Amino acid sequence: MTAAPTVPAVPQHAMVLAAHPVPDSFNQALHAETVKTLQARGWSVDDCDLYAEGFNPVMSEAERRGYHDIPDNTAPVQDYVTRLQAADALVMVFPVWNFGYPAMLKGFLDRVFLPGVSFRLDDGKVVPNLTRIRRLAAVTTYGGTRLRAMLCGDPPRKCVTRAVWHVCRPRTTKYLALYDMNRASDTARRRFLDHVGEQLRTF
Amino acid sequence: MRALIIFCHPKIDSFNAAVLNTVTAHLDAVGVEYRTRDLYRSNFMPVLTAHELDCYLDESCNADPVAQDVADVQWADALIFIYPTWWYGLPAMLKGWLDRVLLPGVAFIMPKGEGDNIRPGLTHIKRLGVFTTCGASWWLTTLIGAPGRRMLTRGVRAICAKRCRTVFAAHYLMDSSTETSRSAYLRTVAARMERLTA
Repeated sequence: MTAAPTVPAVPQHAMVLAAHPVPDSFNQALHAETVKTLQARGWSVDDCDLYAEGFNPVMSEAERRGYHDIPDNTAPVQDYVTRLQAADALVMVFPVWNFGYPAMLKGFLDRVFLPGVSFRLDDGKVVPNLTRIRRLAAVTTYGGTRLRAMLCGDPPRKCVTRAVWHVCRPRTTKYLALYDMNRASDTARRRFLDHVGEQLRTF
Repeated sequence: MRALIIFCHPKIDSFNAAVLNTVTAHLDAVGVEYRTRDLYRSNFMPVLTAHELDCYLDESCNADPVAQDVADVQWADALIFIYPTWWYGLPAMLKGWLDRVLLPGVAFIMPKGEGDNIRPGLTHIKRLGVFTTCGASWWLTTLIGAPGRRMLTRGVRAICAKRCRTVFAAHYLMDSSTETSRSAYLRTVAARMERLTA
């Protein structure tokens, strides 16, 4: 009798959302490390670089008026909705600017995380609808110190670990952040890059 | 007092426009000078570009693409934000205004030497008003940590003058609002404006 083949904890399909305009920036190095690590672990990766794809983050007046019209509301961003709905994992790679996400990434939430996509309204109550996403991670860099971020309530951390978390209810959530980037040495950055690789290997 | 109003809503006939009217009516009544920046109607471009980021730290030219906005911020001694809360935060349009306009040399004084820290650059702003509408309840918003509110009333406030007078009002559960709840909110806005300009 042959032993049942041991199935590794199956990596599946991951969507990586990146939002940094400069290709040779440290943030893009984190983005590359993220994609590379996931692929090496057997994930199929949908590498969505919002700047490179020329995503438009502004929700238009027509979109706002049709916001609650399920299913027609997805029409202007259907491709992104399809890609998001295919994901078993979501990894957001972004810099923190002025206490929050870049507008580019915020606009992705505004326009693509629509009613009927990321949540349903049952009796005016939000019900999570992206529950296919079992793993959620953010890889990010802050200009200011951790203390400074905490004094403001660390809005981007809460956006990921609470707001996005709330509509996915993932099994695993990781928030990987390098604070005080303006004064970070090459060693600190190198160490963070390695840390990201290590954390995503066991994702 | 000179107020800069940053107004962000895609629909001109939205309830947020009624909030804007309440705010400007009060400023007119008390004779405060103000400028209104209507981000949607003026087609503001919220995406910080690679080029802008390349000269982000160069204070001699980083403000060039948004010169009028920077001039408005420097002219004002009060900032008033009016916007809908989406995903517990600011609409991308408004977030992009922060990204592109609150620059080093304008809003932040960058570290000059080793061990130096970033310092506030908006110390001429002595009053801050934040008015928003939320689909979620107060309870859920608070549970999430109210990132949008905190971005402004803590983040931006921290780079304004010390003890910057700050007022905030939100209409929660906007999707089930009634005529009564909306007019009650507009009265709250008027009362907060009273306090802001006092």
